[in-house]
Amino acid sequence: MLAIYKKELRAYFNSLIGWLFLAFFLAFVGVYVYLYNMRQGYSYIGYALSSINFVFILLVPMVSMRIVAEEKRQKTDQLLLTAPISIWKIVLGKYLAMVTLTGIGMLSICVYPLILARFGIVNFGMSYTAILGLFMVSCAYLAIGLFISSLTESQAFAAVMTFIVVLLTCLADGIANLIPPTAKAAWITYSVLWILISVWMWRVMKNATVGLLVFAIGESILSVVYLLKGTLLEGTVENVLGSLAILNVYGQTIGGVFELRMPVYYLSIAFVFCFLTYQNIRKRRYS
Amino acid sequence: MIEAIGLVKQYGDHIAVDHLNFTVEKGQILGFLGPNGAGKSTTMNMLTGYISATEGTILVNGYDMLEEPELAKKSIGYLPEQPPVYPDMTVEEYLQFVTELKKVPRKEREAEVDRVIGMTQLEPMRNRLIQHLSKGYRQRVGIAQALVGNPEVIILDEPTVGLDPKQIIEIRDLMKGLAKEHTVLLSSHIMQEISAVCDHIMIISHGKLVLSGTPEELQQKANQGINLEIEALGTKEQVVQVLCSVADGLDIEEIAGEKEGSVAVRIKSTEDSREALFGAFAKAKLPLIKLVRNTKTLEDIFLEATSDTWTLAEDEDEKSGTFADETVVGEQEEKEESTDVSDL
Repeated sequence: MLAIYKKELRAYFNSLIGWLFLAFFLAFVGVYVYLYNMRQGYSYIGYALSSINFVFILLVPMVSMRIVAEEKRQKTDQLLLTAPISIWKIVLGKYLAMVTLTGIGMLSICVYPLILARFGIVNFGMSYTAILGLFMVSCAYLAIGLFISSLTESQAFAAVMTFIVVLLTCLADGIANLIPPTAKAAWITYSVLWILISVWMWRVMKNATVGLLVFAIGESILSVVYLLKGTLLEGTVENVLGSLAILNVYGQTIGGVFELRMPVYYLSIAFVFCFLTYQNIRKRRYS
Repeated sequence: MIEAIGLVKQYGDHIAVDHLNFTVEKGQILGFLGPNGAGKSTTMNMLTGYISATEGTILVNGYDMLEEPELAKKSIGYLPEQPPVYPDMTVEEYLQFVTELKKVPRKEREAEVDRVIGMTQLEPMRNRLIQHLSKGYRQRVGIAQALVGNPEVIILDEPTVGLDPKQIIEIRDLMKGLAKEHTVLLSSHIMQEISAVCDHIMIISHGKLVLSGTPEELQQKANQGINLEIEALGTKEQVVQVLCSVADGLDIEEIAGEKEGSVAVRIKSTEDSREALFGAFAKAKLPLIKLVRNTKTLEDIFLEATSDTWTLAEDEDEKSGTFADETVVGEQEEKEESTDVSDL
């Protein structure tokens, strides 16, 4: 595991990616801290950090896009998978290298509360909790990026997909507000989703009848539920989208409430996606 | 050392490897021979645990690849079809990484890197980035990588592809040297390659084992009986008559062409009847213009063993046209020969 971890970390700093990531991240945080804290005179770094969620949309794909996809494209996965090392350790080594890279960025911004303390009173507990929260969010996103990278051989595809997924989690709340909480809206939303899923099934299985069948069954169940007990669907779209908005838990932390729930929540997401990555690599050996 | 029992790999409806059974003993160099797409790489990928078999068992050094993959993999060094190198590393960095990956003890890593660099003569390229190396050198880095940790079994998938003739000879010598302490399994679609290095040959075609044995055994198997090629002036009937009068145990394999008053015949017999034939033809006043004893080369055996599509087509021809003119067969024969020449 250590071998892979060291190799990945070295790869980040031998190429531009590691440096670019740190430069972007520190530049963004620096500008926001300047605007929110220095100019407005707030001593709590959380204000600045809560506004820079969008950096993840750009920086997560940048770090995670090549992590597994490139191994497959270069066929170096043959070296890793035939080496006397378990797949779990490969996944973990890669994941920890990404986490370390972001960790370096997070450690660097730990100086801001100290600097701000020179000009006023800083609540260090709250400030460092906010930074820890940001780190935890990035841990979750990196695991999602790792998983997406393991799905493809193309870095570009992995980057775009990760970008879309992270964007979706950032916008989920906004989208939820656009959709009225009525049963009819839910029915329409789910129907559209179900059509997409059916089309996907049809493309994957290369069988139009299966696609149609899946669509017909799903759609009729959905319609029956809607017609007979429409109240069941009310507000569910909002709830589903709300659960995608994984930044909300971090938002509460920024608000100054530290709960153990926060790290547990993000680390669970990270674990789930590392596990999915592991399963995905394992599965590939069989197909 | 390596044991494969009932190995099957199926991709959807396509069977890439079909119930392959074989064992490789310690100190043997086994050559895997087959045309492109015969299932060589798939088999090697299964043996090394890169992909899993649909059915069957693989034992490496006594360890089951499925149940104790780490122990089994530890005894294997593998060079896949495309050397698994990282272009953004130098040769030394890369090999260093491989020693760590293969769990070479920390203290021995440096010496190990030096050892494999020495064995593959990569010293001048040591500090170059792999992306700047030529294909031949990359291939050598791939071989060096397979040697790291001194594994008992070394599996090389087409190791000499992309090398120049001098390098090929060097690599062959290297493989022969390795066989003293290791078990080597290598694949190729070139017979000369395999027969130059290996002491056991397995020919596979369409995922099936079609022939297996030492080069000598294969040669013997193919040259059972004596094959004679005769060409005499005269008509077909005359020639056949003479042949029938000579001896029993004579089997006319093919009357290959009748042109400009001469007939060419291929026959098989249990003993060398060239003397008797000469006498008989002289007596019948049919001048012999050709009398040759043919021995099949390993190349012929390989082509024969793997050319099932060719024989199938021929069978169909025979079925559809029972009255096919024999000269056509002769022409086909010539065509086959000429393509052989151009292949070489």
